[in-house]
Amino acid sequence: MTSGVENSLWTRKRFAKALALAVGTVLGYAAKAFPAVTAPVPPALAAIKRPRHWGMVIDLDLCTGCGACSVACKVENNVPMTGNDETHQGTEIEWMSLLPGPGDSTVHRRADMLPMPCMHCGNAPCVKVCPVGATYKNEEGLTVQIWDRCIGCRYCMTACPYSRRSFNWAPPQWPDSYKNYLNPDVATRPKGVVEKCTFCYHRIRSMNEKAKVTGQPPGDEDIRYLPACAQSCPPKAIVFGDLNDPQSLAAKLSKSSRAFTLLSHLGTEPSVYYLSRNQIIDEG
Amino acid sequence: MTDATSEPASPLPQGVGKCGPGFWIAGIILLAVLSWGIYGFLQQILHGLIVTGMRTIGQGGAAWGLYIAFDVYFIGVSFAGIAVAALVRLLAIADLRPLTRIAELLTLVTLPLGALVVLADLGRPFHGLFSLPRVARPHSPFFGTFTLVVAGYFFSSLVFFFLAGRSDAGWMRDHARGSLKWFYRLWAAGYTGTRDESERHQRTSFWLSIFILPVLVTAHSTLGFIFGIQGGRPGWFSALQAPGFVVMAGVSGIGALIVVAGLIRKVLHLENQIRPEAIRWLGNMLWVLILVYLYFMVVEELTANYASSTLETHVAHEIVSGHYAGWFWTVVITLVVPMFILLVMGITGFQSIALSMFCGATVQVAALLKRLLIVVPSQTHGLLLPYPEGTYRISVTEISVTAALTAFGVLMFLVFVKIFPIIPLDRKTPASQAVEPVESHRRHALRLSIFAMTLLLGLALTVGGLVFSARYGTQPFLDPVVPFSPVIFIVGIMLSFSAAAIYEIVPGPMK
Repeated sequence: MTSGVENSLWTRKRFAKALALAVGTVLGYAAKAFPAVTAPVPPALAAIKRPRHWGMVIDLDLCTGCGACSVACKVENNVPMTGNDETHQGTEIEWMSLLPGPGDSTVHRRADMLPMPCMHCGNAPCVKVCPVGATYKNEEGLTVQIWDRCIGCRYCMTACPYSRRSFNWAPPQWPDSYKNYLNPDVATRPKGVVEKCTFCYHRIRSMNEKAKVTGQPPGDEDIRYLPACAQSCPPKAIVFGDLNDPQSLAAKLSKSSRAFTLLSHLGTEPSVYYLSRNQIIDEG
Repeated sequence: MTDATSEPASPLPQGVGKCGPGFWIAGIILLAVLSWGIYGFLQQILHGLIVTGMRTIGQGGAAWGLYIAFDVYFIGVSFAGIAVAALVRLLAIADLRPLTRIAELLTLVTLPLGALVVLADLGRPFHGLFSLPRVARPHSPFFGTFTLVVAGYFFSSLVFFFLAGRSDAGWMRDHARGSLKWFYRLWAAGYTGTRDESERHQRTSFWLSIFILPVLVTAHSTLGFIFGIQGGRPGWFSALQAPGFVVMAGVSGIGALIVVAGLIRKVLHLENQIRPEAIRWLGNMLWVLILVYLYFMVVEELTANYASSTLETHVAHEIVSGHYAGWFWTVVITLVVPMFILLVMGITGFQSIALSMFCGATVQVAALLKRLLIVVPSQTHGLLLPYPEGTYRISVTEISVTAALTAFGVLMFLVFVKIFPIIPLDRKTPASQAVEPVESHRRHALRLSIFAMTLLLGLALTVGGLVFSARYGTQPFLDPVVPFSPVIFIVGIMLSFSAAAIYEIVPGPMK
């Protein structure tokens, strides 16, 4: 059926050689990588005694629906400016949205507007589904996103029950006159990347660095209105803080009888609490 | 069947090597469609996914659309290869044997298409191509799609295909002339046609069939989990998703196999090789699978309408009688009509290959639209907060890319049938080989030990790669413990299945 020459290509000796080479390569690589298993915990993580849990409380009884939070967020975080075109096309990027009236949804409420940042869920569905770890829970309870790591599969968008994630369907654009005023502390995101509210993490980081230099830990007063949305809210309806610190205003408000979270039946454990005198949310 | 060995000087069987005008015309048309799709993909690269019909959820759109539906569809069609191969080997259904190569090739062609269409869906496809092997996380069902489906399912099918084709490749090596001799020689991998080789192949393919079946169920279930595990998306969160995906994969896979087999039978004039009995077997399998899927659909609708949450019911209503009613009822018709036709043919004994092909083609429409019904309505109408409801309009770009991928698949089939016999050759064992002594125990022990070593190493790498990728119990787990752990996992799966090939092709000592 075949010649000896063809058979000699598949001799036992050659085969064994090839196999040994392949096994050696794999084992060598594994051995080289093994030290990573026993790598020590970074000192920065070990130094944190009581982990913070950043959270936000939004008082709907105070909210006037002015939209300042949404605008401030856009400016602070280099969110591309959009007009009617993008809004109508469904390509607008918004980290802090104001949801309009109830319509015929299952959410019945009496407030006119519902400010919606990312909920920074303790049990975040978006984190579970991200295939590359581009979004993850950090040690301070934030659901953060590494823009450069995102591959743009949009699985997190479909998984987020609050629909709080936006996608760069096209390259981000700003008016020429505006480009010089982009915030240098926040990276702009390229097309094909999902983005979301970070609770202005760059501000938290710079606050932490300042505390390191001065040796003075930041007080709750320094933190309450740290994110751009909270800072810009005229009636101070948005309060930010460490929910693990029982003395912080945010933690106290989150335990108020008026406090509730959105879609709590899903078990997502949101870090954003709403306050309202009325029983405004029927979670269907 | 083709008696290939009786006349070695005769032309190659089944039209191999002969390319008529029909081949070239089809080839040019397919290449044109392919170019159109490449143009569409380049538009996406240049301008972003804004050129598609997908939009942000909550802003009147759906973030996933035709690409994800096609991904599920392509991977679904791949069901056919393994299913038929397993039925032939495990249940010894001889009538289906001539279709094994077509079925396995269908699997090998559609799985890469499934991977490519996901790549087209990514916002940053090239970034994804490099990131996934490096840092893919088992916590995401995408990990299963990327590793189990692409690596496990594809590679096991490849091993099966390779081993099953060795004897024919050996014949081609000895009889074909021209520039492809190296290809046949490589595929034959030293196959000489001894009785021992043949027995070894029977053993290998039997055990491979057994081990591939769980891979099949896992791979199709993984796709179901992409939707089924999402609690915050009404219409998706259901334990029925995974089994539903497995059964629908069967429907589309067997249907596609009937169409492809019928076309090949007609175009290559292989009426003697592809017998109506084979098509009848497939038709019977198809109506049973459709019936099971229709049962799933009834259960799904009953559950969603009877005592479900308001939004589950809302999405179900939108599908059955609202925005998506057109798609839904087309699915019902394109499932019920073929089922009825095939059932009648099964009961009465009346057989029409053209009618079977019509049924096979019709269920493809159902498979695609049902996948769209799974993917889209839950995004446009399953909104838990007062966002405006949305619509999804399929763009020309999406159509061009998916059409191009389909054309690419057909093109691969077209090329394959011209370089290799698409129906396994039926050769009589020469008398001289029938009396050849079976190899010694020493040789057998050597082969067995190399096989066992490969299998153990493969399994170790599979478990290791999974554990290293997962990084269970540590926080924060951004990167896998060992870089490129997903690749280690994939290599493990590949090695495990390679063990079968090693068992079959490891040569004895040189004479």
